[in-house]
Amino acid sequence: MNRKNFLSSIVGLSAFTSVKTNEEVPGIPIIPRYLKTGDTIGITSPAGHIKVEDIEPSVEQMKSWGFRIKIGNTIGKRNFAFGGTDDERVKDMQMMLDDPSLSAIMCARGGYGVIRIIDRLDFRKFQMKPKWIIGFSDVTVLHSHLNKNLGIASIHSKMCNSFPDDWSIADEMQKQTIYSIRDLLAGVPVKYPLIPSPYNKTGVAEGVLVGGNLKTIESLSGTASDLYTKGKILFVEDTGEYLYSIDRMFWNLRRTGKLIGLKGLIVGGFKVKPDDPGEEFGMNLQTIVLDKLKNYKYPVCFDFPVGHQKNNFALKCGARYRMKIAPQSCTFEEII
Amino acid sequence: MITTPQYLKPGDTIGLVCPAGYMAIDKVQACISTLQQWGYQVKTGNTVGSASENYFSGTDDERLADLQQMMDDDDVRAVLCARGGYGLTRIVDRIEFKKFREQPKWIIGFSDVTVLLSHIYSNYDISTLHAPMAGAFNDPDKENKFLLSLRKAIEGRRTSYHVDPHLFNRKGEAVGELIGGNLALLAHCIGTDSDVKTKGKILFIEDVGEFLYNIDRMMYQLKRADKFKKLAGLIVGGFTDSKDTDRPFGQSAEEIIRDAVSEYDFPVCFGFPVSHGRENLALKIGVGYKLKVGKNKVVLSE
Repeated sequence: MNRKNFLSSIVGLSAFTSVKTNEEVPGIPIIPRYLKTGDTIGITSPAGHIKVEDIEPSVEQMKSWGFRIKIGNTIGKRNFAFGGTDDERVKDMQMMLDDPSLSAIMCARGGYGVIRIIDRLDFRKFQMKPKWIIGFSDVTVLHSHLNKNLGIASIHSKMCNSFPDDWSIADEMQKQTIYSIRDLLAGVPVKYPLIPSPYNKTGVAEGVLVGGNLKTIESLSGTASDLYTKGKILFVEDTGEYLYSIDRMFWNLRRTGKLIGLKGLIVGGFKVKPDDPGEEFGMNLQTIVLDKLKNYKYPVCFDFPVGHQKNNFALKCGARYRMKIAPQSCTFEEII
Repeated sequence: MITTPQYLKPGDTIGLVCPAGYMAIDKVQACISTLQQWGYQVKTGNTVGSASENYFSGTDDERLADLQQMMDDDDVRAVLCARGGYGLTRIVDRIEFKKFREQPKWIIGFSDVTVLLSHIYSNYDISTLHAPMAGAFNDPDKENKFLLSLRKAIEGRRTSYHVDPHLFNRKGEAVGELIGGNLALLAHCIGTDSDVKTKGKILFIEDVGEFLYNIDRMMYQLKRADKFKKLAGLIVGGFTDSKDTDRPFGQSAEEIIRDAVSEYDFPVCFGFPVSHGRENLALKIGVGYKLKVGKNKVVLSE
C-alpha cells in the first residue's frame, strides 16, 4: 500500500472511531478462531527492543505445542529502547496483521512504544479475518483499542521474554502460566488459582473482561483507544509505581467514569515502589482501591494472578467471564 | 467570557493553605514575612505546618475544609497554595464554588495545583495564577525576578516576558487565552471534569522528574486527545531532573516535544522560564496573551 492510500485508510478508521464518544462497538464479542496443530504464530516487537536469542526459549516452547513460528523483522532490531524505528515497527505489525497464514501474533515484549504506532495501523484486513493478539503491559494499548473499536478479543498474557530459559528447571507456577497461553489459544478453559483476600467485596458478576496495565489505561483517556468499561468486568495491574501515583490513577479511573457501572473489578499484582522517607502515604493498595468504590456495590477481587509477576495467567480481553467472590472461595471462569 | 479576580492592594489579605502535600511551618516563614514586607496581611490555614504525620498536610476533609474556608472568607483576597506534591485530585470534586464564583479571588500555585487551576478555568471561566509557591521564598534573593513576577501579577501590573531564542523554536505569532501547567497533571485531567479545552489557546507545559519515555507518552496522549489540533501556540517550560531508562530513550525532553508537534504549524517557544526549578515566572491562566516567536526575539505579553 502506498502512503496516500495508507493515510486515507486512517482517515476512514478515525471517522469510524471518533474520539471521546465514550461508546463502543455494540454486539457480541468477536472471538478469533482457536489454533490447531500446524497453525502459525507470528512474533513481533511493537514496543521495546529484544535480542534474537531472547525469544528462542519461547520459539522452542511454542513449537513443542505443535505450532509454526514466523519471526518478524523487528526481532533483534534496535532503535534506542525501541524494537526498531516507528516505521519499522508499524511495518512489521502491519505485515503480521495482514498475513493470512498467521493465526496469532505474540508481542515479544512490552516496554514502551505501542502508543506511538497504534494510529498508523490499518485493521481492515485484520477485521475481516481476526487473529489472536497476545501480550500485556504496554500492549494494553492494543487490547483497549481492539476492544473499543473492533470488539475483537485478544490475549493478555506473558510474552516471549517471560518464557523460562530452561524448561526442565522451571518452577511449576512458571510452567502453568505459560501453559495458560497455550490453553487459551486452543480454546481450552483456564483454571485460575484464586486465594480469597479479606479485602474482597463479595458478589457474582458476569460481563466482558477488559483492562490491563493501569498506567497505560490512564494514558489512553480521551483518545481513540480509550477503554470503555460500562457493564464490563475491569482488571488492572501495575508495577514500579508509588502509592500516591496508584491513588492518582484510581482517581483518574473514577473521574473519567470508568468505575461507575462496572459489573466487577479485579485487582491484579501491584509491585509498589516504597515511599520515600518522610513521605509515607498512609494507605495501602487495598484501601486506595476501596476508597474509590464507595457507593458501588459490585464484587471486587484482590490478588488476582495477573501482572508483572511470576503468577501472571493468560486472560481473554473482550471475552465474557463470570466472577463469583465469596468469603471463603473465589472463582473466575469464561462463559462459553 | 473570562472573569479576572480583583488585583490586590496594600493591606489586603492573602490566605495560605496546603491542599496537597505536608509543609513544615519553618519552610513557610520566609514566604509569610516577604508577603508582609510587600504590604499584605497573611492568614495561615490549619493545613500549613499541620500535625499530620503522613504525606498529606491533613486528611481529605481537613484539606478541603481549609481550602474551602479560605475561598469563601470575605477578608481573603487571594489564596496561595504553599506547596504542591499530590492531593488536589482527591478533593477537587468536593469543592463548593458557589461563593467563589460570586466573589472570585486569585488562586495561586503550580505543579499539583494545576488540577485546581484547570478545574476553575474550564468550569467557571475564572482566571488563576500559575506562579511560585511558598518554597520559592526561601531563595536568598527575595527580589529575584520570579518572585517579583508574582508580586507584579497580583498587583495587576501588566507583564511582558522576553525570553532567549531557542534552536527548536518555531516562528510565528499567536493570540489567545493562556492555559497549562504541569504536563503529568494536564494528561491526568484528560477525560475528567477538570479537562481543559485547547482550541485557540496558548498552552504552556512543564514537568519535573519524569522518565523521558513517559514525557513521550504524555505528549502522545495530548496529541491523540486532539489537544494540539487547533492550538494557537505552545510554550515549553523546564523539564527539570528528567530521568532515563537503562536503555537510553535517545531524545531529550525538548526533542520529544519538538517531534510530537512537528505536524502542526502553530508557533512554539522552548526554554520558557516556567518550571520546578528556580526559573518560574508568574502566568495568568485564562488571561489573553500574545506570543511572538521571532528569530532573535521571543516575547509573551498580556
